Amino acid sequence: MTEKKQTPEIADESGDKYKYGFVTDIATESAPKGLNEEIIRLISGKKQEPAWLLDFRLRAFNYWQNMKEPTWAKLNYDKIDYQDLYYYAAPKQKVSPKSLDEIDPKLLATYEKLGIPLKEQEILSGVVAVDAVFDSVSVATTYRAKLAEKGIIFCSISEAVREHPDLVQKYLGTVVPYTDNFFASLNSAVFTDGSFVYIPKGVKCPMELSTYFRINAQNTGQFERTLIVADDESYVSYLEGCTAPQRDENQLHAAIVEIVVLDNAEVKYSTVQNWYPGDKDGKGGVYNFVTKRAACRGKNAKISWTQVETGSAVTWKYPSCVLQGDNSVGEFYSVALTNNYQQADTGTKMIHIGKNTTSKIISKGISAGHSNQTYRGLVRVSPNADNARNYSQCDSLLIGQNCGSHTVPYVENRNKSAVLEHEATTSKISDEQLFYCRQRGIDEETAVSLIVNGFCKEVMQHLPLEFAIEAAKLINISLEGSVG
Amino acid sequence: MGGLLQEVALAGDDIPWLEGQREKGRELFLAQGLPTAKTEAWKYTRPRDLMTEDFILTGTDEDESHEEEHCNYHQGECRCGHHHESQKALSFPSYEIRFENGIMQAIDFELPKGVTIKPLIEAIYEEDAVKSYLGKEIDMAHYPFAALNTAYMEEGVYIAVERDVSLTKPIAIINHTHACRQNLMAHLRNLIILERGAQATIIENFNYSGNEKSRYFNNIVNEIYIGRGACLRHYKLQDEAYKAVHIALSRVKVRENGFYESFCLQKGANLARNESKISLKEEQAEAFVNAAYMINGWATVDTTTDIEHLSAHSKSHQLVKGVVGGNAKGVFQGKIHIAPNAVKTEGSQLHKALLLSDEAEIDCKPELEIYADDVKCSHGAASGELDKEQLFYMRSRGIGEEEAKQILIDAYLTEVINTISNEDVKNWFSDSANINTGEEKC
Repeated sequence: MTEKKQTPEIADESGDKYKYGFVTDIATESAPKGLNEEIIRLISGKKQEPAWLLDFRLRAFNYWQNMKEPTWAKLNYDKIDYQDLYYYAAPKQKVSPKSLDEIDPKLLATYEKLGIPLKEQEILSGVVAVDAVFDSVSVATTYRAKLAEKGIIFCSISEAVREHPDLVQKYLGTVVPYTDNFFASLNSAVFTDGSFVYIPKGVKCPMELSTYFRINAQNTGQFERTLIVADDESYVSYLEGCTAPQRDENQLHAAIVEIVVLDNAEVKYSTVQNWYPGDKDGKGGVYNFVTKRAACRGKNAKISWTQVETGSAVTWKYPSCVLQGDNSVGEFYSVALTNNYQQADTGTKMIHIGKNTTSKIISKGISAGHSNQTYRGLVRVSPNADNARNYSQCDSLLIGQNCGSHTVPYVENRNKSAVLEHEATTSKISDEQLFYCRQRGIDEETAVSLIVNGFCKEVMQHLPLEFAIEAAKLINISLEGSVG
Repeated sequence: MGGLLQEVALAGDDIPWLEGQREKGRELFLAQGLPTAKTEAWKYTRPRDLMTEDFILTGTDEDESHEEEHCNYHQGECRCGHHHESQKALSFPSYEIRFENGIMQAIDFELPKGVTIKPLIEAIYEEDAVKSYLGKEIDMAHYPFAALNTAYMEEGVYIAVERDVSLTKPIAIINHTHACRQNLMAHLRNLIILERGAQATIIENFNYSGNEKSRYFNNIVNEIYIGRGACLRHYKLQDEAYKAVHIALSRVKVRENGFYESFCLQKGANLARNESKISLKEEQAEAFVNAAYMINGWATVDTTTDIEHLSAHSKSHQLVKGVVGGNAKGVFQGKIHIAPNAVKTEGSQLHKALLLSDEAEIDCKPELEIYADDVKCSHGAASGELDKEQLFYMRSRGIGEEEAKQILIDAYLTEVINTISNEDVKNWFSDSANINTGEEKC
């Protein structure tokens, strides 16, 4: 066990446009570098995990050791040395805090700076309960008591393992098994924290639930795991946000989100991904390899993914819907914006298994600078999915001559009553639209962001209000410098 | 793999560059092997039924007389009860080149001035141009069957049309298999060169006579060079026997202002793949690549296109329509690649498929790969069953269910057949399409 005090590499907000690039100067305790069984036992021990979970981790680790890193995505990045990473880093705390008042004020200040209020201020309209994850651990979860009144469980996954082991054991790894893919296996072996949500039967969650992920420590991989279970007739809207300091070297983030939706339940999952994208020459930035999947197990279940991807140097992410229950619905709305040397390979999978299942995919990609972006999606209709329906639309906008935009949809239909439609277009901002704006005295950069926001509107309107405003601003910031 | 790569003596083994290419083909095929489920380009079309040892390369069999006798026995009438003419004549005049079981027959027509047609092997000896074209654009490291084809490069036809020469009649390449013989394997290599301003129409027809259940393997590579301002219309009908394997690659290179139009109707074979890789190398090059397939039984039929826009102002259009019944599987993979600087380009692609039965399957992967901003590209893909309302409309007017379905299917395919600009050929294709669906009661 090493203890070290981190010195800030980059002074507060000295970076150009990435306003979350600061480092919190906080004492950290971390496990030694490298990945082996010892480290996994150590993580498991730190979290006082039961034997079954340690066993799950070790099985995942053994499986991972025989796997090869996938190369099919249109991504170029330096080989990741998995032995040169810290797999556990946590802010040092003497005792686990009983209430928000006991949390290190530096941590609270960090979240305040990020715009995430951890104090429960009832006066705020549009109350949001937050689970804040800092490096490998969850530091605070707000409004727990209020949610508990309704029987809703919202806590860090480590806590859930201790306090609700039956629920966790019943659902963990059932949507994304540890054998699923390279990064999912890695995550299953070493995941450190994340959020757990359980919405009991018939309950509509009264507020938005939110997790905020922050990578702070250097050379540390963040491996969080989120599990959401929506029982019969329930509803929850869940938000996820993330940022990381500005550093010259690349940081690894490999997360798993598993969602189980039962009869007549609905889950809405929104993400604004704003990991550090690297500087304008493509140096640094987060490698983001995420496996997100929702299983609509019950009848009439509904899952809706909305994502705004503006950050990360490399994004590898395919939020998927497994539509098992009859009449279940899957939706995917995505805006991905890449600038400078960012690369994104993202999309979705819609697996139709139940009868009368419907899915909708709206994907908007904007590439600028030297960036490259790929939409990669799968729509599969199995033989029993009578009357399945899918509509996919992928539009790409190219800004500048050096960027690339690619579309790789896979459509597999094995049922004749299924109706599948896919369309995609690629174009640049039309000169006419630009001219129209310029003629009315709007400068070029504003005009471009206006047009881009219009292009994304169809997706943005599916975000909760506060998020939508933030996302629109984020897109404008990310586009800066790409025009002219 | 012994069955596919055999030690045989091929003509032209005294030419070092030819032997060199064959050797390279052998090496690269061995290095890749047959594509598996993990080979992305063959994800949906698994080359089954090719792992056996029993293939006989055409022309290497010593007992030819036996074959003739066998075929005469079946001439005209065969076990399936259908009438097969050994040569399906085209309904319009053409320069007809015949291949019987993968062997080119003597040409019995007079060639117009400025046109050369001869067996590839003769051209290799006699025409200097061949060396600078043959195999130059084939990426054997990524096309295992093209590598295999190169390893056996010998049979095939060489067609060259000189500068500003326009052919009035189409050239028809009839590939006929006497399917009484089992396990024949043919590797045809055609080299087609259109010089600046030349114009030609080429029709490929793959048919068979004899036992419809016999198994054979045709592996075809066409290398097509279209010069500045030249125009090639290229049509193909694939109507192989039900257990045949048909794999074809057309590698097309189009230069400035060049025009390439193609249409391929696939309705036979157990496993078929018609692949076009087209490079629009220079400005204003244009390609229309259309296709249709109507399949039944246990067939897997694949249409794969890869169009590279390498220069500004180039255009491509694709329309592919399929009708799939029985336990068959239709596959479409289309890719539009736009290179950096290839601005003001247009690429469009549309794939539509009809599923007629519960066991039928459609897999489709339309792909865009774009590295330039000032482009207009789109693709669309749709699949579903026959419109119930339209069926009801016809049923309510006293048209029987089977007939109503047939009318709808015909109308469905007519859209793509109508893209053929040559009237004679268009009519021939609509006849070919109708006869088949009628028999098979789609």
